[in-house]
This record gives sequence, C-alpha cells and structure tokens, in this order.
Amino acid sequence: MHALAGVNLTIERGEYVVILGHNGSGKSTLAQHLNTLLWPTQGAVWGKEWNTRDVKRTLDIRRTVGMVFQHPDNQIVATVVEEDVAFGPENLGIPREELLRRVDWSLEQVEMQAYRTRAPHQLSGGQKQRICIAGVLAMQPEVLVLDESTAMLDPQGRNEVLAIAHRLNREQGVTVVAVTHFMREAVDADRLIVMSEGRIVMDGPPRAIFQEREQLRQLHLDVPHVSALAAELHARFPGFPGNLLTVGEIVKEVKKWGAQYEVRNTQHEIRDTDFAAPDATRNTNH
Amino acid sequence: MSFELSRNIIIGQYIPGNTFVHRLDPRAKILVTLFLLFGISFTRSLIVSFVYLATMLVIVWSARVPLGFVLRPFVRGLPLILFFLGFSVLWLGWQEPAGIVFFQWGWIRITSNALLMAVLSLTRLISLLLLISLPTLTTPITQLTYGMESLLTPLGYVGLPVHDIAMIATISLRFVPILAEEMERVIKAQASRGGEIGALSWREPMQIGKAMLPLVVPLFVNAFRRAEEMAVAMEARCYVSGAGRTRFVQLHAHLIDYVVVVGMLCYVIAVWYGADLAFNAVLARFA
Repeated sequence: MHALAGVNLTIERGEYVVILGHNGSGKSTLAQHLNTLLWPTQGAVWGKEWNTRDVKRTLDIRRTVGMVFQHPDNQIVATVVEEDVAFGPENLGIPREELLRRVDWSLEQVEMQAYRTRAPHQLSGGQKQRICIAGVLAMQPEVLVLDESTAMLDPQGRNEVLAIAHRLNREQGVTVVAVTHFMREAVDADRLIVMSEGRIVMDGPPRAIFQEREQLRQLHLDVPHVSALAAELHARFPGFPGNLLTVGEIVKEVKKWGAQYEVRNTQHEIRDTDFAAPDATRNTNH
Repeated sequence: MSFELSRNIIIGQYIPGNTFVHRLDPRAKILVTLFLLFGISFTRSLIVSFVYLATMLVIVWSARVPLGFVLRPFVRGLPLILFFLGFSVLWLGWQEPAGIVFFQWGWIRITSNALLMAVLSLTRLISLLLLISLPTLTTPITQLTYGMESLLTPLGYVGLPVHDIAMIATISLRFVPILAEEMERVIKAQASRGGEIGALSWREPMQIGKAMLPLVVPLFVNAFRRAEEMAVAMEARCYVSGAGRTRFVQLHAHLIDYVVVVGMLCYVIAVWYGADLAFNAVLARFA
C-alpha cells in the first residue's frame, strides 16, 4: 500500500496550483514532500536544484518552500503576534535589523499590522491563519504551500486567506501550491491537479478540467455550480459556451444571449428546474 | 460552577500600565522577587514579616494594581486557610515555651506563642501571594520568559539547555488559553449529553472526581495531537534547537535596573539583621 504512487509532477515558478482530492487521496502527503517533512521511499523530490534527501539542504529547502497548515492554533508558537512572525527568520539567524524589517513587511502583506502586539487567542480563525502566512513570508520563501489552510475557516476567513495568496502570487511572484477539497478554490488557479488514491488523475487549467463532469463525478468531486449551470445551458443551447467558471462570466453571456432568446421564448419556456444540476443541493453557496 | 473557564484563569494575566514597576527590566524583577521570597520565607520574626507586608503593599500600590484583584484567590481560599490556622493554633498549644496561657479546657490550650505563630503565618502568606502575583501582573509573560532565559544563560555553559527551557515555557503559556477553551468545549459537550460536571457542588468530591475523568481524557488526547502538529509546524519553519538563532525581543538593562537590584538586596539584608537587632534590644530592655 502506497500513499503516493507514480506521481510525476513539475511545478513552474510563479504558478498558482491547486491540488484537489478527496480525503485519503494523498494530496496532503504530496504537499509534505515538497519541503522535506516527508521523504519519498522511491523516486526523488527536487526543490530548485536540491534533492530533498540531501540533509545539508534541508534548511535551504524549508526556507524556500514555506508551508501553512490546517489548524492555525497549532502553528503559532509565540504568545504575541509579532514575535510569532519573527520565529522563522530567528531560526535562520537573520540579523536583527533585517529581522525587524521582515516582520513589518510580512505583517503588511497580510494586513495585520494593527494586531502586531495582540495575543493570538484574541484573533479570529482567518486572522490567525493570516498570521501563519506572515510567519512563513518572513522567511521570504519562493513557494507558499497551503496545506488545507482554509479547511477550518468560516467563509469570510477563507476568502481573506485566498485573497492574500492570490495577491502574493500576482504581485510578489510567489509560487502558490494550495491543497484543498473545496472546488471553488480551484476556479481562480492557473492549474488544477486532481488526485485520487495516490495518483494524479487530472492535470490542467481548471476551465478544461471542469468540463470533464463525468470523470469528476466518478471521483466523487462536485463541479462548481457555475460550471454545472454553464454545461446544462450548453447542452440545451449548443451555441452557449459550456466552460464558464464565474458568476460574472455567466451573467455576461446570458445578457448577450438574452436579446436573441426573447424571440424564441415562445417556443421554449425556460423553467427553474431545467437547470437544477443533480448534485446542486450538496454544495453550499457560490 | 460556571462554564467560562478562560476568564477565571489568573496565570499570566497582565495588567497593562506604565508605572515604575512595569518599566523595570524583567530580569531585575525576577531577581528582586527572589530576594524578597527568600526574606519573607525565612524570617521567624513577627516584626520582620510585618515590615515585608508593608513593603509589598507599597510596591503593589506603586504598580497601580488593584489590591482586591490580587487578593481574590486569598479571599476565595479564606475558609480553608482559617481552618488550617485554627488547627495549627491547637497543635502548637502544647509547645514550649508557651508564653501566656489564655485558655485551657481539656486537651485544648490556646497560648500567646501559638497565636503569634498563626499571625506570622498569615502575614507571610499574604506577602508571598502579593509577591508572586506581581511579576506576571506587571510584565508581559514573554518578557518574563526572556528574562528567565537571559538570567539562566551562564548555566548554558555547563550544559543546561537554557534556550529549550525558555521555548518550552513560552509554548506552554501559549497553550494555556487554548486548553482552557478546549476544556470549556468538552464540558459543554458532556453537559449537553447529560454529563454532571456543571451541576455538582463541591460537597460531592467523589462524584466530581468521577465526572472529571471523561473531561481529562479527551483534553489529554487533544493536547498530544496538538503538540505533534506544533512540532511539525516548527520544523517547517526551520526550527533547530538553540544554535545560531537571532532574537526579535531584546532586553536592555538600564542603570536604574542595577540600582534597584542592588538596593533591594541591601534592603533585604538590612531588614534581616536590623529588625532582629531592634527586636533583641527591645527584649533586652524588658528582660
């Protein structure tokens, strides 16, 4: 029995990659291989030009590939926010002046400057997770791995964390690898990797992958509502694009088509039930 | 019993302020606390212990810490304390020298010396309570751990893992509110399924003990799971015990801190000898 088998994967600099899969699909195991928390029993993992098995390079890899975990409470080491952010660079032996600058910069990146002298237990889940991200950023990593970092958060906290990850990816050029089981987190990614039973079963841009509704259903993964709706519309009206991902796109298309359909309304009455995807009730709000 | 445990936890409660006591270097505070601890604990003279009580009251007042707040655990424990004091008065009643015998009935004898001992214990207890509450009430807890680490640094040269000890202390303190919260959650979960813990009074210690067991077990299991995750998270952030770390928080001792430490040391010694001398002089006059 292998947690991972036959995984062949290259993540390019500056990509925003989402790894999606069910519990036990091996997605977290894969993530923990990225910064030497786990070693492969066969094969090799390379971070830049370093093999993760090379013990001399462990710290180099860990400072390059920063990792944020699921439970914020179990990652925050210090009893004051700014001291926790400083923990990583302290470990790296960064001189104090640079250390202070990095703490300021990291807190600014996650918009938590106002809370720098607070105690972690006074913060909300989303705020705590932002502190964890700041703690990783202070090591100035090139890659940010979010290992189910949004799983414990409420929708607002999740949005805060995702917004920050996307901004870091866009503005600072940080490569982001986000492991999740929330479909909608994959919508904004450059690349989506779907895992099942320790293997990579799908790999490509989210727009293309969400087209494969049948295969996703076999993997017990739900397509986001918007994609399901677009596909239903496409099936009914062949000219309608079936690969839409966001509410904005759908609204735009429907407006564009609305004019033509006023004429046909008499022939084809559109009812609400026409668009109810079979799995629609299982998902939460979008 | 209320469910709001996290609010009742006094450990590490810090009362922000900007008094002289607050501004003192944590290392100076720790040293002065140790001196006073020594002085208060080892005196057998009633006068000296009164002097220390007065000293502590002055320090508490100058730190602007509300006296009622500090004495809350004392007031709460008062019935128990009085019980033990009464017991010790009876116990010491037959000890010689007895001084003046106030009252005797069967095996019960109340003597002036036994009463003096009780008063001495009481003043000592109050002074100690004020003393040990002060550092945490006037210093952020992290400052205290850094102070401790800095003071213990010399022991690092003989192989004591000073940095690790400080790290352990910091993480433990970090987990206090988390575990309190978790305890609260477990109690509520048990209570909602008919668990008794909230409904029992202290008159039923056995039942309370039994009801505690299903609380303690999940709490421990969770604590271990958290500790493991924390270890992985620390490793992911390049933690290697001790060597080559830089410090974000740095302590700066000023002249005033040295003055306070040396001054308080002299004060403790002076009270120790001075009060005894005065006491003996007074005794000699009456003898």
